[in-house]
Amino acid sequence: MSKRISGLLILLSILLAGGCSDGPDTNGMKIYRHSLKGAPTSLDPVQAATTYANHVVVNIYDTLYSYKYLARPYQVKPNLAVDLPEVSADGLTYTIRIKEGVEFTDDPAFPNGKGREVTAADFVYSLKRHFDPKTRSQGSWFWAGRIKGMAEWKKAGSDYDEEVEGLKALDRYTIQIILNKPFPQLVHTLAQGYAAVVPKEAVEHYGREFSVRPVGSGPFRLQRFDSVGVVLVRNPKFRQEPIDLAYEGYDEAVHGQYGIQEIEGKIPPLVDRLEIHFVKESLSRWNSFTKGNEIQYAEIPKELLDDVLSEKKPKLIMKPEYAQRFFMIGGIENAFVFSTFNMRDPEIGYNPDPQREKMNHALRCAIRYAFDWEERNRTFYSDIGFIFPGIIPPVVPEYDPDLSRASLEYNPERGQKLLQEAGWTADNLPTLDYGAVAGVEHRQFFEQYRGWLMKIGYPKEKVVFNSFASFGDYNKAIKQAKIKIIGMAWALDYPDAENTLQLFYGPNGAPGSNSTNFNDPEFNRLYELTSVMQPSPERTRLYRKMNQIVIDSCAIVSGLSRTRIFMWHKDVVSFPNEDIVGGFHLKYVDVKEAQK
Amino acid sequence: MNTLTESTTLPRESESLWGKALYKFRRDRTGMISLGVVLFFFVIALGVWMGLWGQHWSAIEGPMWAKPGAEHWLGTNIIGQDIFQRAIYSTKTAFEVGMVVAILSTILGGILGALSGYFANSWVDELILWLMGVLDSIPFYLFVAAIAFALQGYPYSMHIAMIATFWTTTSRLVRGEVIKLKNFEFVEAARAIGLPRNKIIFRHIMPNTYHILLVQATIVFVSAIKSEVILSFLGLGVVDGVSWGLMIAESTQEVQAGHYSNFLTASTFLFVLVMAFNMFSDSLQDALDPKKVSA
Repeated sequence: MSKRISGLLILLSILLAGGCSDGPDTNGMKIYRHSLKGAPTSLDPVQAATTYANHVVVNIYDTLYSYKYLARPYQVKPNLAVDLPEVSADGLTYTIRIKEGVEFTDDPAFPNGKGREVTAADFVYSLKRHFDPKTRSQGSWFWAGRIKGMAEWKKAGSDYDEEVEGLKALDRYTIQIILNKPFPQLVHTLAQGYAAVVPKEAVEHYGREFSVRPVGSGPFRLQRFDSVGVVLVRNPKFRQEPIDLAYEGYDEAVHGQYGIQEIEGKIPPLVDRLEIHFVKESLSRWNSFTKGNEIQYAEIPKELLDDVLSEKKPKLIMKPEYAQRFFMIGGIENAFVFSTFNMRDPEIGYNPDPQREKMNHALRCAIRYAFDWEERNRTFYSDIGFIFPGIIPPVVPEYDPDLSRASLEYNPERGQKLLQEAGWTADNLPTLDYGAVAGVEHRQFFEQYRGWLMKIGYPKEKVVFNSFASFGDYNKAIKQAKIKIIGMAWALDYPDAENTLQLFYGPNGAPGSNSTNFNDPEFNRLYELTSVMQPSPERTRLYRKMNQIVIDSCAIVSGLSRTRIFMWHKDVVSFPNEDIVGGFHLKYVDVKEAQK
Repeated sequence: MNTLTESTTLPRESESLWGKALYKFRRDRTGMISLGVVLFFFVIALGVWMGLWGQHWSAIEGPMWAKPGAEHWLGTNIIGQDIFQRAIYSTKTAFEVGMVVAILSTILGGILGALSGYFANSWVDELILWLMGVLDSIPFYLFVAAIAFALQGYPYSMHIAMIATFWTTTSRLVRGEVIKLKNFEFVEAARAIGLPRNKIIFRHIMPNTYHILLVQATIVFVSAIKSEVILSFLGLGVVDGVSWGLMIAESTQEVQAGHYSNFLTASTFLFVLVMAFNMFSDSLQDALDPKKVSA
């Protein structure tokens, strides 16, 4: 009997021990436990639509370009490419050489299970996949209509054996892209997870399973992926490129405090195992972060800011109990919030009657005077948001710090006077509907907005809340130009002001990305002119001119970029970024001690 | 203790059910106090409706999270709105929802219950019972969400959902009562003199179910207020205006930041009204219970 019991106990302990282990023994390994507030649904680059997917994809796959780890404003650098592209004088032909000797990780998809060399043809194949209807690409819009012959290739049935005139592998290591018209932001699009290089063998071998069985040539390879997290392990075949901190934008004054100088000359990836935990609930994420080493990186939940920080202005300072254990970085997000008027609505936007057109302009400007950005920042953004005029946010190099802040002035008296002078009375003012997704915070945004409008004499009953059950419904209403006042947040796809200026380009009007339905001939002309220009002081000057046109039209009330505060454990050497550099930063993360 | 004195001051007990119930209710101290509280809230709601007070609930009149004081009795919320004004205005919202839902669902439940009871075991009864079974089988909040989605932006979608679900209990109770009543002599007499069926049902039988309808209306009233608060908290309730549910919903972040006024005010108003209405409802039920009244 006792033998039987001890036998059962042994069996139980074996089972328990088996349940605890997660893959191979991690002793002696350097492990970094990152966290994200959402999970990717697919790791196929053509589906890398979210920040979460992008974070993982760029660590498994290679992209031609990436961003310098530390440089701000953000700077593109070659990744799989040898150098920045050679661009023809007309801006239409891009020639890109890729590094020799880079190999895909070993995988059963390859003959004998051994990964082969990455070639220019792999990039051509990877980009073609976006235009193959079978892949249901979410990133094809980046290049749709831009690459010569691609539309025809798609129309002809997306046969991968057929050549696309504008996308060719000139030799084993040279890619040529020919555009229909200049697209200076092309290089930024090649630094996205969407543009990651995949091997045809793996796509064909795994079929639909490829979304969870990625095979790339990036710094890590996948060990586990589920709804809880992803585990990546060092790719032993990753190319040996020592870190040059000066090249990456190292600044002792900014980065010295985080011990980043320690990674100089080391070869990424710096950890053996990268765990990314998906923790949606901000407080759970925070608890997991602070209680031990469960995760080593998190964002401070908005509601705990005052508990964690001893000072928010002019500098973010942690309370000593946190400062002892954690590093912190606060940065302006790669996005901004603003509200716009639907210019297609004749009651508040463009109107064929010149007199009413003038009145509408005055009405919009009066509403802008009623909007108190400082108060909005205090109320909803912990008073640490960055307020700026216009539509060129501070994260892009074209941002103008000297631009007049007159459009941000809070002056309800002036607003009221403007309404009176334009002939508006409580009776003839139009009813404004403020659109938003149903939810407490959006309702509070609305109530604050309405409260401010009441201060310029707008009747309460003429400002109504138009709530939508989901973002999809709200977006649909915007695309149908049904809402007069639209609360917006825009996250930039790449650090170029073109990405926000296109939101005001006339032909992009609803159902396109121009939700404001702004349509100014001079703005449109300048947009068309600059959209084919390479970055230059002249282009920046024109961008700023376009910004001023939007400001003068009073078509928007803008804007504020939120400050996001990230923290990480002191035994981690990192300079985290969730925006433009995004997942690219993870290969530079180091931990001081290996797992014991 | 002084029931003798009290009873001597009260008018003589009437012989009718209503007279006996009134007599009994007036002797119920809890019932009278709770009625007083309910009436007090009703006066507040009436004042808001008439524009006498609570009109500044949406104005931004103070700084963010001002402490309670002479200017703002219960302080201000995150965007500087007066919490007292909002709580007062929410009383009107509560009564509006409570009364609309209570009246309409009671009428609907009464009529369909009477029809179902009178035509028991016929296809009319089967149909109504089937309808009640279907509606009762749908989870309430899912049903409200579906209606809110279907009637997007319509301010009364919540009311419709509540009416559509709350009438079934009333209907079942009335059905049972009508099945009992339809065999009474006064109904047989009405039939014997050739009165049409609708007159028998609505003029002779239904008045004898009023005590059920009255009690049921008060119960529905309370349920509607509570449901409104939960639905508004979930973002499915009041579309425009303010309610205690919305106040509690917006206070979730404030509580984490150490500001409790919004939460406590809305919860207290809700608690007092719901408690008072529940006690009033209990007392009314006791007073109208034929067994207890005739005892």
